Amino acid sequence: MKRVKKRLVLRFPADRVNEPITYVLIKDYDVSINILNADITHGKEGNLLIEMRGEAAKMDEALEYLKDRKVHISPVVKTILFNEKDCIHCGACASVCFPGALTMKNSNRKLKFSPDRCVACELCIKACPLQLFELNFGA
Amino acid sequence: MPVKKSFQEINEKIKKGKAVILTAEEVSAMGRELTPAQVVEKVDVVTTATFGPMCSSGMLINTGHSNPPIRIESATLNGVPVFSGIAAVDLYIGATENHPEQPDYGGAHIIEELIDGKDLELVAHAKGTDCYPRRDIRTTINRENINEMIMFNPRNAYQNYPAAVNASNRIKYTYMGSLLPRMGNANYSTSGELSPLLNDPDMRTIGLGTRIFLGGTTGYVSWHGTQYKSNAELNEHGVPVSNAATLTVMGDARNMSSEYIKAAYYEKYGVSIFVGIGIPIPVLDEEMAARLMIRNDQITTRILDYGNPGHPELGRVNYAQLMSGEIEFNGKKIRTSSLSSLYKARKIAGILKKQIEEGAFLLSEPLEAFPAGKGLNSLEIR
Repeated sequence: MKRVKKRLVLRFPADRVNEPITYVLIKDYDVSINILNADITHGKEGNLLIEMRGEAAKMDEALEYLKDRKVHISPVVKTILFNEKDCIHCGACASVCFPGALTMKNSNRKLKFSPDRCVACELCIKACPLQLFELNFGA
Repeated sequence: MPVKKSFQEINEKIKKGKAVILTAEEVSAMGRELTPAQVVEKVDVVTTATFGPMCSSGMLINTGHSNPPIRIESATLNGVPVFSGIAAVDLYIGATENHPEQPDYGGAHIIEELIDGKDLELVAHAKGTDCYPRRDIRTTINRENINEMIMFNPRNAYQNYPAAVNASNRIKYTYMGSLLPRMGNANYSTSGELSPLLNDPDMRTIGLGTRIFLGGTTGYVSWHGTQYKSNAELNEHGVPVSNAATLTVMGDARNMSSEYIKAAYYEKYGVSIFVGIGIPIPVLDEEMAARLMIRNDQITTRILDYGNPGHPELGRVNYAQLMSGEIEFNGKKIRTSSLSSLYKARKIAGILKKQIEEGAFLLSEPLEAFPAGKGLNSLEIR
């Protein structure tokens, strides 16, 4: 039984915003969902950045269900590149990093970057005084 | 009999390799178990350090004379304007000077590149005089072909600084970093209990002529810093709760390293420079020991709202709270960031400790103390 992980942006048409789509994904397809960013307003188009984990076959079925409900699916291709070698470990980026991908909580006061937590919100790009973060549009 | 030591006695011990040197963080930890009387008996020198953005910094260079010579009236280095209103070929590179077309490049980058030995394009103009007939220069300079490279920073090592939040509804980009709306984060800048002037709040041992670590080499305190304030409000531990004392520091930039002098750019604010400073403090007596034992939870700063005019004070917080990564304020958890690097400051305090242990760095007694009770003027718009 192969388990897979996918990071996706789901775009909901305005008339689907009222449907409990994430509930169906969890209940009927047994996928675990971590919502990384959400921008949903009733009556308007909504966007959801999620991380889905589940059994490969079930995941495929879940994606079919989303397509059937007219939810537009696009993989997350934006990632943040960090030039760690030049970091001076001030930590100016840590307080703007809401998903907690950039942290200074260790006792040696060195910045820790956990790319798997990054949602590419881009706030660190402007917060870093040495301009060590870059947006990468590659897959 | 309470123990008292002079600068001379401590230096004798250093020369004999018998002095005990600790970093300020080590002494703060020691202070949980020992009394000031015990600390003054055990420890001779405490090293303090900071590595933070210090805007009021710059480098004075002398380019050497060309033939025929020029009396430079305006000049740029790699397109960044430099101050040329002193004599013929003395130039002052202000760290915060911006390139007119490239906002994230400026004086600080020029300074770092000079230290690193890179070539820079010098463009200069003059009207031409009888004694300095040349009117234009376009050439390349680097650290090998110019005369002096003197780091001259008029205001460094601020004794305490406010923590910044933004209570407005829009993100603010400031010299205190990116401040998220509705108090989404709080930024501060200090090395706290390791910070030089927080360990000698009364400026007893730091004054004119104090030998220091500056940017990777030995430098000196050459005056009190600009905006020097010695009448600031103190907390119950005798430490100023707001920006107070500052230092003017100088050193030979040719011996500095870009490991400890680093150009920075703050979004929509401009260019600044990280400066590494380390100051050794002699444990002269019990009173000095008590000062050096100060801990982060005993150092207070003000929380100011950079999102509103006049930066109103919203509250107070201590550095143990700020350094934990999160503070609780008005029932809300706020993520915190430091602008200065404690990691680098610790490195500097360690280097200085080693230099003193090896007898390579002796302490210097101030030639003159800095002014007491000094307040600040503000600029009235008439």
